[in-house]
Amino acid sequence: MERRNFIKSMCAASVVAAIATPSSLLAKDAAKGKNVLTYDAAVAAITGGKAATQSDKIKLTVPEIAENGAVVPVKVNVESPMTDADHVKAIHVLSTKNGNARCADVMLTPMNAKGYFATRIKLAGTQDVVALVELSDGSFLTTAKSVKVTIGGCG
Amino acid sequence: MAEARKSMIKFKPKKFKVGDIIKVDFIVIHPMDTGLQKNKKTGKIKPAHYIDSITFSLDGKPFTTMKVWETVSTNPYFSVNMKVLGKGKITVDYTDNTGEKNSKSKKLKPKG
Repeated sequence: MERRNFIKSMCAASVVAAIATPSSLLAKDAAKGKNVLTYDAAVAAITGGKAATQSDKIKLTVPEIAENGAVVPVKVNVESPMTDADHVKAIHVLSTKNGNARCADVMLTPMNAKGYFATRIKLAGTQDVVALVELSDGSFLTTAKSVKVTIGGCG
Repeated sequence: MAEARKSMIKFKPKKFKVGDIIKVDFIVIHPMDTGLQKNKKTGKIKPAHYIDSITFSLDGKPFTTMKVWETVSTNPYFSVNMKVLGKGKITVDYTDNTGEKNSKSKKLKPKG
């Protein structure tokens, strides 16, 4: 029994080491970049301390599993009448664990007619993609979806 | 750096009428270097080189402005909606972090 337990613990330790190494390496690489901003700091900079509410009005379309982290398609659809009085002012696309959490800030106007934005982003590893939406009345809506990344794309 | 980059504006669907809501897609050939990768031949770190701002405008009047970072993929693609109100010209201006400025435009021709 002792030998069995020993081998088990060894296996567990090696698995933990294997998982831990890439993420620590990534953190090191990220520190070298100039545009380093954590997710929390990015959100605070956008909302200015206001609380963002979770909402079903935002439809965030991302793949569940991305084989290549360098190209992850992201689509954001926000239900909104898009009139002068009530429209989507901005859509921010963020990621939780990239060195630079910000991906794109899109300022929309009523001329867009729909709260829609699509692009392709890079993800350094398995993490959440977050859409933060600012409405014309100054309130913020947010939604997040996790993406499994098999090969990282940031560096 | 005056050489113009390959870029493309697409309207989806291709045929549309006045009053329709269409998608305006913009694609540009750009390396979007993060400043973290090494050049495999020389072993030197490639400097960061990415598009940082984009403006979509109709007849010179901007309707969508974007700020983007190096976390957007190589050869970036951006898509927004727009309501067609008549003939016009869509222009997309973009600037990258080295100060390079370019623009691309396409005429908007609704039928019917």
